[in-house]
Amino acid sequence: MKFPLSLILCTMLSSTVFSQQFDYGKINYEDQLIDRNTIDSSANAVVIQEYGTSRMFLNDDGRINLLFKYHVKLKIFNKDGFRHANIVIPAYKGENHEEYISEIRASTYNYNAGVFEETMMDKKAIFTEQRSKYIELTKFTLPNLKDGSIIEYSYELLSPNIFNYKSWDFQSDIPKISSEYQVNIPAVYNYNVVLRGPYKLTDQKVERDNECMRLMGAKIDCSKISYIMKKIPAFIEEDFMTAASNFKSAVYFELSDSQRPDGSKQSFTKTWKDVDYELKSAKEFGGQMKRKDLYKDIIPNIIKDSPTDLAKAKAIYGYIKKQLKWNNYYGINTEGNLKAVMDNRTGNVADLNLSLIAALSAADLDAEAVILSTREKGLVNKLFSVITEFNYVVAKVNIGSESYLLDATEPLLPFGLLPLRCINDQGRVINLKKPSYWIDLKASQKSTTSYILAGTLGRDGKIKGTITTHSLGYDAFMKRQEIKKYNSIAEYVEKLDEKMTNLSIQKEEILNVDSLDNILTEKYEIEFSVHDLTNADQLYLNPFFINRISKNPFNLSERTYPIDLGTANDERIVINITLPEKYELLEKPKDLGIALPNGGGKYVLQTTLNNDILTITQLKQLSKSIYQAEEYPYLKEFFNKIIQNQKTDLLLKRAK
Amino acid sequence: MKHTILFFVYTLIRVVCYAQNDYNTELIPSSLLSRANATIRSEETVVDMRAADNVIYAVKQVITVLNKNGESNAGLVLFYDKSTIIKSVKGEIYNAFGKLHAKFSQNDFIDESAVQNFSLFEDNRIKRFSPSMNTYPYTVVYQYEVRFKQNLIIPTWYPKPADDVSVEKSTYSFICKPADKFRVKSKNLLQQPVESINEKEKRITWTVRNLPGIKSEPYSPHREMYEPFVKIAPEDFTYYNRQSNYTNWQELGKWIYDDLLKDRATLPATTLAVIQNLVKEEKTAQGKVRKIYQYLQDKTRYISVQIGIGGFRPISASEVDRLGYGDCKALVNYMQSLLKAADIVSYYCVVNAGDEKRSLDPSFASMNQANHVILCVPLAGDTTWLECTSQKIPYGFLSNFTDDRIVLACTPSGGKLLRTPKYTAQQNLQKRTANFVLNKNGNINGEVNTVFQGTQYDHHDHIVDKTPSEQEKFLKKVYPINNVNFDKITYTENKDKFPELLENLAMSVNGYGAINNNKLFLPINPFQMKIPIAEVRNRLMPLHLNRGYTDEDNFTYTLTEDLKPVLEPLNKSLQNQFGSYVATTTLKDNVLTYYRKFVLNEGTFTAASYVDFVTFINEVNTAEQQRCVLNLK
Repeated sequence: MKFPLSLILCTMLSSTVFSQQFDYGKINYEDQLIDRNTIDSSANAVVIQEYGTSRMFLNDDGRINLLFKYHVKLKIFNKDGFRHANIVIPAYKGENHEEYISEIRASTYNYNAGVFEETMMDKKAIFTEQRSKYIELTKFTLPNLKDGSIIEYSYELLSPNIFNYKSWDFQSDIPKISSEYQVNIPAVYNYNVVLRGPYKLTDQKVERDNECMRLMGAKIDCSKISYIMKKIPAFIEEDFMTAASNFKSAVYFELSDSQRPDGSKQSFTKTWKDVDYELKSAKEFGGQMKRKDLYKDIIPNIIKDSPTDLAKAKAIYGYIKKQLKWNNYYGINTEGNLKAVMDNRTGNVADLNLSLIAALSAADLDAEAVILSTREKGLVNKLFSVITEFNYVVAKVNIGSESYLLDATEPLLPFGLLPLRCINDQGRVINLKKPSYWIDLKASQKSTTSYILAGTLGRDGKIKGTITTHSLGYDAFMKRQEIKKYNSIAEYVEKLDEKMTNLSIQKEEILNVDSLDNILTEKYEIEFSVHDLTNADQLYLNPFFINRISKNPFNLSERTYPIDLGTANDERIVINITLPEKYELLEKPKDLGIALPNGGGKYVLQTTLNNDILTITQLKQLSKSIYQAEEYPYLKEFFNKIIQNQKTDLLLKRAK
Repeated sequence: MKHTILFFVYTLIRVVCYAQNDYNTELIPSSLLSRANATIRSEETVVDMRAADNVIYAVKQVITVLNKNGESNAGLVLFYDKSTIIKSVKGEIYNAFGKLHAKFSQNDFIDESAVQNFSLFEDNRIKRFSPSMNTYPYTVVYQYEVRFKQNLIIPTWYPKPADDVSVEKSTYSFICKPADKFRVKSKNLLQQPVESINEKEKRITWTVRNLPGIKSEPYSPHREMYEPFVKIAPEDFTYYNRQSNYTNWQELGKWIYDDLLKDRATLPATTLAVIQNLVKEEKTAQGKVRKIYQYLQDKTRYISVQIGIGGFRPISASEVDRLGYGDCKALVNYMQSLLKAADIVSYYCVVNAGDEKRSLDPSFASMNQANHVILCVPLAGDTTWLECTSQKIPYGFLSNFTDDRIVLACTPSGGKLLRTPKYTAQQNLQKRTANFVLNKNGNINGEVNTVFQGTQYDHHDHIVDKTPSEQEKFLKKVYPINNVNFDKITYTENKDKFPELLENLAMSVNGYGAINNNKLFLPINPFQMKIPIAEVRNRLMPLHLNRGYTDEDNFTYTLTEDLKPVLEPLNKSLQNQFGSYVATTTLKDNVLTYYRKFVLNEGTFTAASYVDFVTFINEVNTAEQQRCVLNLK
């Protein structure tokens, strides 16, 4: 009897080791008992169990396909969780690359008088929607939902895309009790596996699956790998953070190489050397980068008045921005060829910036391409060269010992400043002749604004004077965008005047709206009332007329992720007011000088009264573009102090 | 012969010149350039109703985009579905001088689904095109033809699509058989239409010319109040193979009832039994309706399923019963069926929903004025209205989504226009009382109780069932007081026709009052203030206040002994046609009391009065920024 027992034990073991696969339609009473307070009291639904598998197989046409199976069981706690019962599954429908969804099953279980009542979803309740040319959505929703319902669904996705082996998100916007992904990879394929996010795998199991596939007559073994994570908290987005995918726990796969039947190796994106070669020889990348011939005839005319290389580069950058219009699509590959881009005067990011590179090269300038991943797409992993992680390309021009990063998609960007979406860690420089290398993507200019108010306080309680504003970097970029929303500066100022209700603008002058490399300067002659008690001997005056901070942008009790502001910034405010007669400064907001730790920033306030001239100066600097989560309390307190101080007034007393 | 040749050459040259000059942007009259980002140079819309199931809608539009801001008017979006077929579409783009730059055809249009958010099924699709030009001005010519396989809905003609578009000339022709009958509603047109009739066709043409661009102004009435439009409704119609006719709301309502709602109300016997059992103890009709409504809210949820009959026909009650979900039509129809099971009569009511109150036009019946359905239960002396798509909304409460407007009730005897209940400025009340203790460090703490009523009920209603951490986040957003801490958050709801939401907070704010030089500065109103509103130079539009409301505050600050106020108490009172405002502070012993009441009246006022409105609101804003100065002893 000993033998069978150990056999049973053995089978049991292997089934637990093997997988957390679960049967459809088997709902346990324990599922019903799940209490959200024991998991996450703010969750509206929870994934009880989630299991997915991916395996490769040879289809009838002899092509290798990927079959992804998904099965999940959720508990819906309340009506706010009902949206988790609305399912949308996208499938890619490109030429020769169609994905198919099938075998959809879905059920709702309601616990009633000791039994689970199952309501199966009718197949007729599944709809497909051709969302766009390449995306088809399969949609369904679960029937008979109630507070406390348990829902279950499963489906299969067949994909010809084996290059990006199906990735798996352990973390989503609701917590999960258990999530497991099992991949079956034939030994002839080698994938780079990247695990992202703060949470560790609870378990990982590797097994050999003998003779799992036949390829050209040969039997091939597979690796069966299970990635298991348990008790995964919900992912909650916070303000000032980059792509959620940077922080979410997930596992990604990228094909690195495969073995041909003859035993030789076919490498995919194993090294940057391979990627360099691939990109440089690609028709949609290197092929277009080289097309300086297109610009040979035009360029001499554009740079004829430019004596230096820098001036030439600026002229060409200006020309391309004026000539070509971005169609709002990203990409590192061109949509068409640059000749067509030139004719149609429009294209995606690659079309525009590779045109820029071609044009710069046509003027014999040293231009390279920089591929990068935008902030909303997330960080690229630097261990492996995963080309699909890049979604954007900009130009880099090297002049003397300096280099400048240029993006032609935004007409209002100054020379050398990338749009904020590109400021994301590092990019890879692709040079037609040299090996590629990493480069920091940083805003080349700080966001800086200074305000100078020079005015006179009249006996009527009105301040008349001039506000002069200088802005630089993204501050200037955003202001130019705002100005350009109007058809003329007059219309812009009219709107501005209407918006600032207590202030009237008498005259305006705005300089350098179109001369992007210079400081944007606005001068407004203004008039506003500060007090209607001027006749009194004493007067209270709050001197924070300009950009007063009343809300703390950092008001949470806790912060989990880094605070990414994108760029350092700097704000100076200088106010000079000539008083109508002799006054004494009885009280004033405390002169202040506070700083963030580790040189993170500072705020300085000073008030003086000197010969009837009241001077208030403020300087606020945030010197870093990224602050760590641990620095959050300091930022919070920093703003808190500023706000408290700005609540207080000056008290002036007429001198006798 | 010479003569002829010469003549020929001359004509040719003329044609060429004409073509060259036609789209030259310099030809646009300067009066049409002011306040305009795009100009419709010419537009001809022809609706040719060849048969009830074959209506050809043909448009030729020439539009000049004057600058970047005109881009939003440069593109073309065409909707299509089972009964709308795009027969042809093409066009050209011309540069500023009227020289041809590019041509485009249907292949250059992007084809995509028109569905937004999560909708299970809609067969509406769009084709869209936007020219990619970045030098201005330029001109786009569109020519397209769409065939409708129905004539129940003829698109309304709005020759001026937006405030910032000016129109040089636009015409609209409706062609039909001489015997065809149709009704017309037009407004804000200067010219009379031209009519002609012969044995083959009847034609009526409207023309507008030289409509200038205008500046968009806040608090303006709906566009139909001031912009020209023409609506046409044929008497005999075909719709998804259904034929009928109507000339008024009574007949249209009858058709909806008889044709679209017919046979949709059957429920399985089990559900009938459940309902009958559910209400058997209830003595009053009100009680029964209330119970059945609760049953509906527990059982169903809203999912958009725009399927069949152009999205006008509900899926059957038995289907909703089985699935537990449906769209607004399906859920209203289901609720109606449930009520019927308890022998209670109710009406399926078609409404134009949205925060802006818009009524169906009593003088002109047509099918495309509504976007939602609600249920009316005409109980004796207590007509009750039910919104059936929400699982949380109080029984009998319509909210600002469908309040105070004319709707079409579809009854067995035909359509009836009814008006939904109005919530008055007095009923839309937010009443807040707070009792704080203020100490010498400027810290305040105390209880804040707020009652939300009428259309203000929904302001915080969605937060009631949320978790404490989410409630706290939300409150920090709506009460953005620096350093605020909520020590207790409770909500109590009184779900009724005039619902009430009570928000009870215990809160403390460290350093609420700022201290400087032995003085404490206390902002008197920690909560929301009336935001100042923008002035509008040379206002053209009447001032339209869509819905009135009342905000009332009563705060006390008990001062600890070491504090003494120094500033004069505030005493502000304003009263005018737009509403009223009172704010006072009084000090008695060591208690500083702040009372404030703001009432906004609903109504439409002259453009000239807008200045006074701005003054009113901004004066209120200034008064609310008042700070008390206290001496530290």
